[in-house]
Amino acid sequence: MKSAAPARGRPGADDTDGTLPAVLELSEDNDLSDAGELGDAAGLSDAGGLGDAADLSDAGELGDAADLSDAADLTPPPRVQHGARERSRARDLFERLSGLPPDDPERLRIRSELVELHLPLVEYLARRFRNRGEWLDDLTQVATIGLIKSIDRFDLDRGVEFSTYATPTIVGEIKRHFRDKGWAVRVPRRLQELKLALAKAIGELAQNLGRAPTVAELAGHLQMSEEEVLEGLESANAYSTVSLDAPDSGDDDAPAVAESLGMVDDALEGVEYRESLKPLLEQLPPREKRILLLRFFGNMTQSQIATELGISQMHVSRLLARTLAQLRDGLTSED
Amino acid sequence: MPADGAYLSVLRTATAGLAARLDFTLDDIEDMRIAVDEACAMLLSQAVPGSSLECSFTLGPDDMTITVAVQSLNPAPPSADTFAWTVLSALAGSVEAQVGPADRLAVVMRKSRPNPGSV
Repeated sequence: MKSAAPARGRPGADDTDGTLPAVLELSEDNDLSDAGELGDAAGLSDAGGLGDAADLSDAGELGDAADLSDAADLTPPPRVQHGARERSRARDLFERLSGLPPDDPERLRIRSELVELHLPLVEYLARRFRNRGEWLDDLTQVATIGLIKSIDRFDLDRGVEFSTYATPTIVGEIKRHFRDKGWAVRVPRRLQELKLALAKAIGELAQNLGRAPTVAELAGHLQMSEEEVLEGLESANAYSTVSLDAPDSGDDDAPAVAESLGMVDDALEGVEYRESLKPLLEQLPPREKRILLLRFFGNMTQSQIATELGISQMHVSRLLARTLAQLRDGLTSED
Repeated sequence: MPADGAYLSVLRTATAGLAARLDFTLDDIEDMRIAVDEACAMLLSQAVPGSSLECSFTLGPDDMTITVAVQSLNPAPPSADTFAWTVLSALAGSVEAQVGPADRLAVVMRKSRPNPGSV
């Protein structure tokens, strides 16, 4: 997820005018450096698979196949399996740990392995708090501290599974992080703006309708999903976490998409790109395709795209990550 | 309500509201919101499409029991090999999966409010 040198200056990146390589900017945008959500997307840009325009215009490969398969090895978020194998490995490690003297250097190595073994759990938990205005990276770090504390305090004799033991500690660490940062008084700016927009919209609609608006009316007026409107209305709650199953809004963006899709398609006219990429792009749903095109051909930031589409920046971020992952899967499954 | 992810936010809000009535701490309220969400996620993956999710809350003097249930074609207890189950069992005081009668699949969660003054 480090910023890679843009491909524009590289020899060979000719015909495409450096537009496709813009995907390397992926790593500069703060949101997209979120480890949990976009590990694959970052891997994709690092691999230079989609980003290497020179390769794409070659008769041969779609970039470095080996790199792409590395990206494919990255665990797609969120990982849900936490199997017997991991649990028994954890048990073994704790047993070995308990048998070692306090200053044995082996302790450090075992602790490291335990941390690594449970990072998926850490990420799984951290993701739940990602709508509170903190970068997922920070949350993951905080959660990892919770994990380390749990490892140090865990006692096999308790007879309880380590993950079960660690979960409340990790979650507690995350919550304490928010408390220390004054979450109760510090509302993410996005929500503040949302609340203002809502208040204004409620006033306007109420005046026009002669009654209080419905959530659907507010959503339509503000060009947002109903879920977001509800989130804004509920934002008076000091605590809220996001459901891992929270659906993305479906057709709310349809009218806006139809309008400017034509405009963006024109931008594709002068671009040469590999035949395998083009069909994949065509297969994308209109909104996802539009976001991708605006990002990499229109060079718009996520915020700008969010405004354009009338959805939240976080939503754009999620959709982008998912779309890139899909493209990656589509590209790698060709081999 | 429909067995659809879109309604989970309603359930979480209801859970939080009721837990607040029982004077649970904000941390415990949040735990229950997450637990309910995990439980429903597991059930939804087995639910008959287009069917309903049932949720019932039972409030005791110091505890709260939440039961979520769906209809499933081949109801099977949720796998304990998932993070969802790990997190659910860690955050809800006690959890139990119930298979049956017939095609019903349920998860029962209970959380007690610690007595004031306890650790």
